[in-house]
Amino acid sequence: MKPRLPPWWARVRSRLRPPRTLKVTRIGRTYLVVTFGVGLGALNTGNNLLYLLLGLLLSMVVVSGVLSERCLRYLSVRRVGADAAFAQEPFAFRWAISRRQGHAFALTLSEADAPLTGAGGVGYLPAGVQHVVRADLTAPQRGPLLLTGVRVTTTWPLGLFAKTRVFPLDTTLLIYPRRTYACQDPGAPEQGPLGDAGNPRRNDGNGDLVGLRELAPGEDARRIHWRKSASAGKLLRVEREHEERRTFVLTVAAGLDAEALERRCEEVAALAHRLIEEGHEVGLDTPEERLRPAAGTAQERRLLRALAWLGHERPRGDEEAA
Amino acid sequence: MRKGTRLRLVLRDLGSGFAFASMAVSGQLPVWALALYGVALVAALAGRRPFSNRVKLTALLLLAVALTLGTNVLAGSLNLVVAACTFAGLISAQRLLSTPDAATDGQVHLSGLLMVAGGAALSGELVYGLFLIVFGVLASSALALGVVEAAVPDGEPVPVRAVTGPLATGVGFAVLGAVAFFILFPRLNWNMIGPSAAPGLGVATAGFSDTVRLGGAGTIKDNPRIVLRATLSPDPEREALDAYWVGRTYDVFDGQEWSNARTANGDAEFMKTLRPGRENLVHQRVELMPAYGARTLVALETPSRLGNAVANTQLGPRRTRIVELGGGEVRFRDKGISYSYEAYSLPPDASGDDLRELPPEEQDALLTLPEGLDIRVAQTAARVLNGERDPLVAAQKLSAWLQREYSYTLELSGDVPDPVADFLFQRKQGHCEHFATALTLMLRTQGMRARLATGFFGGERVTGGYVVRAGDAHAWTHVLVPGRGFVTVDATPPAHRASQSARLLEQLINFYEVLESQWRDVILDYNFRDQLTVIRSLTQPRDVPRPDAPPSRAPPPRAWGAALLAAVAAYAAWRLLAQSLSRERPLAATRFVDAVEALLASARITRDEGETLEALDARLASQRHPLSPALAPITRRYLEARFGGRPLQQGEAARLLADLKRAVLTESRRVANQGTRPPQARAS
Repeated sequence: MKPRLPPWWARVRSRLRPPRTLKVTRIGRTYLVVTFGVGLGALNTGNNLLYLLLGLLLSMVVVSGVLSERCLRYLSVRRVGADAAFAQEPFAFRWAISRRQGHAFALTLSEADAPLTGAGGVGYLPAGVQHVVRADLTAPQRGPLLLTGVRVTTTWPLGLFAKTRVFPLDTTLLIYPRRTYACQDPGAPEQGPLGDAGNPRRNDGNGDLVGLRELAPGEDARRIHWRKSASAGKLLRVEREHEERRTFVLTVAAGLDAEALERRCEEVAALAHRLIEEGHEVGLDTPEERLRPAAGTAQERRLLRALAWLGHERPRGDEEAA
Repeated sequence: MRKGTRLRLVLRDLGSGFAFASMAVSGQLPVWALALYGVALVAALAGRRPFSNRVKLTALLLLAVALTLGTNVLAGSLNLVVAACTFAGLISAQRLLSTPDAATDGQVHLSGLLMVAGGAALSGELVYGLFLIVFGVLASSALALGVVEAAVPDGEPVPVRAVTGPLATGVGFAVLGAVAFFILFPRLNWNMIGPSAAPGLGVATAGFSDTVRLGGAGTIKDNPRIVLRATLSPDPEREALDAYWVGRTYDVFDGQEWSNARTANGDAEFMKTLRPGRENLVHQRVELMPAYGARTLVALETPSRLGNAVANTQLGPRRTRIVELGGGEVRFRDKGISYSYEAYSLPPDASGDDLRELPPEEQDALLTLPEGLDIRVAQTAARVLNGERDPLVAAQKLSAWLQREYSYTLELSGDVPDPVADFLFQRKQGHCEHFATALTLMLRTQGMRARLATGFFGGERVTGGYVVRAGDAHAWTHVLVPGRGFVTVDATPPAHRASQSARLLEQLINFYEVLESQWRDVILDYNFRDQLTVIRSLTQPRDVPRPDAPPSRAPPPRAWGAALLAAVAAYAAWRLLAQSLSRERPLAATRFVDAVEALLASARITRDEGETLEALDARLASQRHPLSPALAPITRRYLEARFGGRPLQQGEAARLLADLKRAVLTESRRVANQGTRPPQARAS
């Protein structure tokens, strides 16, 4: 797993980075070896055709560099971002790329200096068209991720060299805790006068079977248990437990070490997801903040954000990409 | 297969085919290799790839072929370069028939590169240059489409049309760059090896042999390839030259074929004098083209002096000696792709030879007749001559009779027991060798000395000189006339003496030959001297420095440039070396755990059979062994290095081992102080 860079170091690296970087691909290495061999053969034999072939190979290298450079010029990139990024799980990420003039080929987009794996590609980018590139990225761990730039790479035209240009774009991507299973029980729900939810013994619900009693006049005939009534010789009705909506407050204790904190955050996120799915209200109590119990997907998003920031210093403005 | 992929594969396969063809034009590859590759290419273009599921089997077959080729090379029956080229072609064929994935694509392109390199070593023809360019275009297109295809998300089509334009521009610039590089790259030549080349349009066509056999097929008259170029001085300034270019003569006929009574084997010299010269000699500067395919010098009748011979080889032009053989034939001693030389010839009325100058065996041979010669030959000659005894008049009389009574044909039925009788009395049709042989023998039956001469007839004016084609190959008769020597008499009907190929074909061949000549001059013969000329023309200052200006003591700019380049190269080499040395070698974690085990053994802690370091660490921890706290971080770090993708950093292993060693020493001292034995980990 690649360690995460400190923000200041990522910024320094982005400032010190050359405008273009070049990397030889696997086929490019083979090509260079063959070129070297042809050169040796030409020197060895004095065969002019080998010199001609050598010239063609070398000029292809030069042309490759020029064409790839032309591909990376006049580009503008912005992040469209991700809907929800969970750690160690591919999430959809998007960039919008356009070109002021000319056209570009075989562009691959990824995040520079970030421990995000994955990239998106566009085969052909004409001038004046904004193309949204989608990629499935994966983040190694929870927390805010400083994104300093977008890396645009092309192997056009021959795939011999991968030329890269980094567009400096600062933002923060918030990575939610890894989606996993919660091995622990959420604990006892909150007690107290919380409306109807405070009386779980209230019957006439649609929950588990509580018992049978004789049907009273005026009661709904659909509650009659016909088989039992036939055996008892009188009309018996079913009593079922009333549906309950409980309130849970999940806690993350203070003083956990890094590994334990990660594990606890994952468990709390899994518990919160399960409880909210079941219709309960869930709150969160951490050493840094306290979220009031509530239900629904918006509350789950709030819980995930709080868990993602837990243990990290929050910026003043909320400027994450996701 | 999405849109564009099929096109890319076709381009890739065709590119490989042209790369193979660039080797095949040399004519040196084995026929079975040509057949195998052809079948593979056709199958690949048809989309059939039967080797997709038989990778290992076909690789074994390739290995067997490699062993066979290697054995042939060691046995001396196959050239090493030819064997390597053949094997590259077979590898390419195997890859063409395999599953078209990224790795296969790369291997096909790589084998294509190797094949064009092999083609450069085997062939020096213009066709090679054409195939090289076509291969470059096709392979580049396939590579570019592959690059774009890899970047296009699944399900979307490959933008083939958008790729075409910029790629064509790029390839065009690459070709221009190749030309510039070719012109400017220093021709530093180590001159160690270099296989010979072969003519481009198939094998040579107009070679001279030691004998002339009657009855063979006569298709050579249809061949329009140029075998000889010559400039004459004085220039006759005629469009069509009715001249005889003699290569050699024959004096002995055994009934089937012509040969020579005497085989001269003179010393090799740079100049050969054949006959005494006169003042009005015709000077010729002759170039024998690759299509000629022989080493016999050819000159206008009658050659007096030959020399200043240069053989053009792959390693450049080289001055060569010439040697005289029987029948007046003069040959180059060294083998070359083409030759150039100078010749002086007597005016075409006679040779000036005298019977007395000839060796006795040649004198006798000029009158010999084959055993069993049909009696009707002599009877016919006598009847036609009707008592004529002057050799030249008799020869002309017989020649006129033959041209009148017999017809010319190239359609021959093959060998017959008596080709002369068959020609004169059965078919009454034949080609130049039949006419010339019949005239020579008929003269001999009447006691007149004569011999057969072979070479070329004609000459077509092209750009101030004359060219002779393979179809101009001809045979005629030399009649020995007292006081004049050998005089040429040609019995072949005049209309059939020169090349009879189609006019359009001749024009096409002319165009090709001009291109090939330019190719040879500009590309193949380009050398360091030419480079200096080009560079001098580019760098020569226009203003001549003033004579009174003080000479500059500063180094020239090129010295600074060279120093800068050398510095950059040295820095790059140093960086590469430093990176290579600092790189952690593989299996460092394994060596590390071996060292840990040795340290633990010194503390009498040994691992059980099959027990991992992790299990040993857990066992020591459960026993609360004093070394457990020191071993735990080492175990965790080892697991990370071995399986977690975090290799040991430079010096980290030594540091961890030092910590463990310290812990072992401390524990040993503690045990010694207490006077008790340390706990035995094995007793679990």
